Amino acid sequence: MGMKPLRLIAGSDPHRYEDMFGMFLESIPSSVLLISRELRVIFANRNFITKSRRTQQDVIGQKLEQVLPEAIIEHIDITSKVREVFRQNRAITGDRMTYRAPGIPIRTYYYSILPFAWRGDVEDIILLMDDVTEQVRLSEEVRRVERHLASVVESARDVVLSTDPDGTVLTWNTAAERITGYPSWQVKGSSFFERCVPEATQALRNVFNELGAIDSPQTGEWELLTKNSSKIPISWVFSSMKDERESPVGVVAVGRDLSEHRKLEMQLLQSQKLAALGVMAGGIAHEIRNPLAVCSSAAQFLRNSQIEPEFRQECVSKILDGINKASSIIENLLRFARPSSSSEMNPIDIVHVIGDALQLVSNQAKIEKIAIMVDFPKPPMAVYGNANLLQQVFLNLFLNAFNSMPEGGTLTVSVRPCRAEAQISIEDSGHGIAPEHLEKIFDPFFTLSSVGKGTGLGLSICYSIMRQHLGNIEVQSIEGEGTVFTVYLPLL
Amino acid sequence: MKGRRPLVLIVDDEPDMCWVLTNLLGKDRFDLRVAQTGEAALKLFESNRFDIALLDAKLTDMDGLDLARRLKSIDSSVNIVMISGYYYDDHVDIREVMNEGFIMAFISKPFVHDEVMGILRDIGCH
Repeated sequence: MGMKPLRLIAGSDPHRYEDMFGMFLESIPSSVLLISRELRVIFANRNFITKSRRTQQDVIGQKLEQVLPEAIIEHIDITSKVREVFRQNRAITGDRMTYRAPGIPIRTYYYSILPFAWRGDVEDIILLMDDVTEQVRLSEEVRRVERHLASVVESARDVVLSTDPDGTVLTWNTAAERITGYPSWQVKGSSFFERCVPEATQALRNVFNELGAIDSPQTGEWELLTKNSSKIPISWVFSSMKDERESPVGVVAVGRDLSEHRKLEMQLLQSQKLAALGVMAGGIAHEIRNPLAVCSSAAQFLRNSQIEPEFRQECVSKILDGINKASSIIENLLRFARPSSSSEMNPIDIVHVIGDALQLVSNQAKIEKIAIMVDFPKPPMAVYGNANLLQQVFLNLFLNAFNSMPEGGTLTVSVRPCRAEAQISIEDSGHGIAPEHLEKIFDPFFTLSSVGKGTGLGLSICYSIMRQHLGNIEVQSIEGEGTVFTVYLPLL
Repeated sequence: MKGRRPLVLIVDDEPDMCWVLTNLLGKDRFDLRVAQTGEAALKLFESNRFDIALLDAKLTDMDGLDLARRLKSIDSSVNIVMISGYYYDDHVDIREVMNEGFIMAFISKPFVHDEVMGILRDIGCH
C-alpha cells in the first residue's frame, strides 16, 4: 500500500526504485544498518559511517559487535535483541542507547530493530538509530531549569502566584499556602480576588484591567484572607505574563507579608511618640499646673466663710473652668499617647487633625517664645487617612520647627487645596538646614541633634506615614532664614 | 512705704492667674497693677516705682527670668517674686537668678495663700 506513490514516480523500473531508496537512505538524519542472519552488516548508510567515523570498508561485511562499540554490545546486549527480532519477527522500537565513538563525546540514540520479512521469513534486520543527543540534552536542560524555577518559587519566603487574565489562580506557592493556610489544590481554579478582603476586590480588578492595557507592573497593599478568617497585610507587585507574541496570558503576583514589618513600624511609631511626649512634658506640666493653681486658690478663698456671695460664685466657676481645662489637656494628651492599634484609614478632616496637633504643642511654643500663625480654609477638608498617624506627622514637624528656633521665632501653618490635593505647609523662621544635609533628612537615624536629644527617626517616620497615605512630603530650606516642610495629601 | 499701700505689679499671661493674685493680695492692702506681657510690664516700669513684682516664669513674649533681669536693671530696688508652673525651686536656672539676687523668692504653682503672704511679709511690704 505504502509503495503506491513511489511506484507512480518510479514506474516499474527496479533501478529507479534502487536509486530513490538509496537517496532516501543517504539523506535521512538517522543511521541505518542492514544486518544479516549471521549478524553481519550488509549495509550502512552515510549517516552511520559519518557518525561512527569509519569507512564503508570498515563496516560492510563485519560482525555487528565489531561495528558497534563494546559498551553498547554489553550494556544493552544488542546482539541478543537482534537475534530475538529474527526469531520472533517482531520489531523492537523506541528504546534508547548511549554510544561513544572513539574520540567524540557521548551520544544518545533512539533505536529500533525492525525485521525485514519476505514471504513469512525474516531475511534481514534493519537497525535504525536516531541521534537524539541534542534533544535529550535540551529536555534535560529544560527540566533542570523548570526544577530550578519551581524550587525558587517554592522556597521563596514571599507569596508567588500566577493567574489567568481574569484572576483565576493557576499556581500558588508554598509561602502562599503557609501564610493563608489554604493548600494549593484548594485554591487553583478559584478567583484570586476572593482570596483577598472584599474591600480590595474592586481595586484588584482595576489593577488586572490596567495590566492588560499597560506594560508596567502594578503595586499596592491589599490584605489576604487566611483559613481562620484573619487578614494578613501584603505588599503586592503584579506583572503581566505574556506569550511569545506579546499578548497577555496571565498575571504573576508576588506578595510580601507585612505583618512583622507592621508590628515593628507600630513599635517604632510608639517609641517616637514617647520621645515627642518627653519633649512636650515641660509644656504640658506648665499647662496643667496653671489651671490647678487657679482651682487651688479659688478653693482657698472659699475657705473663708465671710466672703461675698458674688465672689463665692466666681470662685466656684473658676474651679470648674480650671478642672475642665486641665482635663481637656489630659484628654488630648492621652489621645495622642495611646498606641495606635491599627493603621485603619477613614475619611477625616485634615484641618481638624492639624488643629489638634497645634493644640498639643501650643504651650511648648509659649515656653520657647514661638509665635504660631495659622492660615486655614473653612473646614472640613476631607482626606482619607488615619487621624492618629497624621497627627503624629504634624506634631513631629512642629517640634522639629521649634528645635530649629532656639531663640524663639514664628511658626506659620497653612492649609490650602491645590488641585486634587490638600497642601499643608509648615514654615519656621529657624536656622535652616544646610544643603548637604537636606537630602538626608528623611533617612532613618539621620540626626543633627546632639546625642540623646533626637532619635533621628522622626522625619523618616513622617515620610513612611505620608507614603502610606499616598501623600508626599517635601522640604525647602535656606540656612539662616528658615525651613518649609510641605505635605501633600490626596483630597477625597 | 509707710503711709501708702505698696505698689505691686502682677505679670502673668493667664487672666485667671491675675484674678487669683489680685484677689489674694487685695486692693485694700496693695496698690495693684496687672500686665499680661513682658512688654507691658517694662512699659509700666518706666513710669512707676514698684515695691514688688510677681512674675510668671513663662510669658508669651519673653522669658520671665529675662524680664526679672531687665526690670532689676531699670529699678534695682524692686523686690521680685517668681511664680511658675514650669520650674521647681531647685531648678538650676531659678537657683542662678536667686543667687545673683534678681529674685527674692520663688513660688511654684499651685501655691498655698499663707505661704505667698508670708513671703510678702518677709519682704517687708505687708
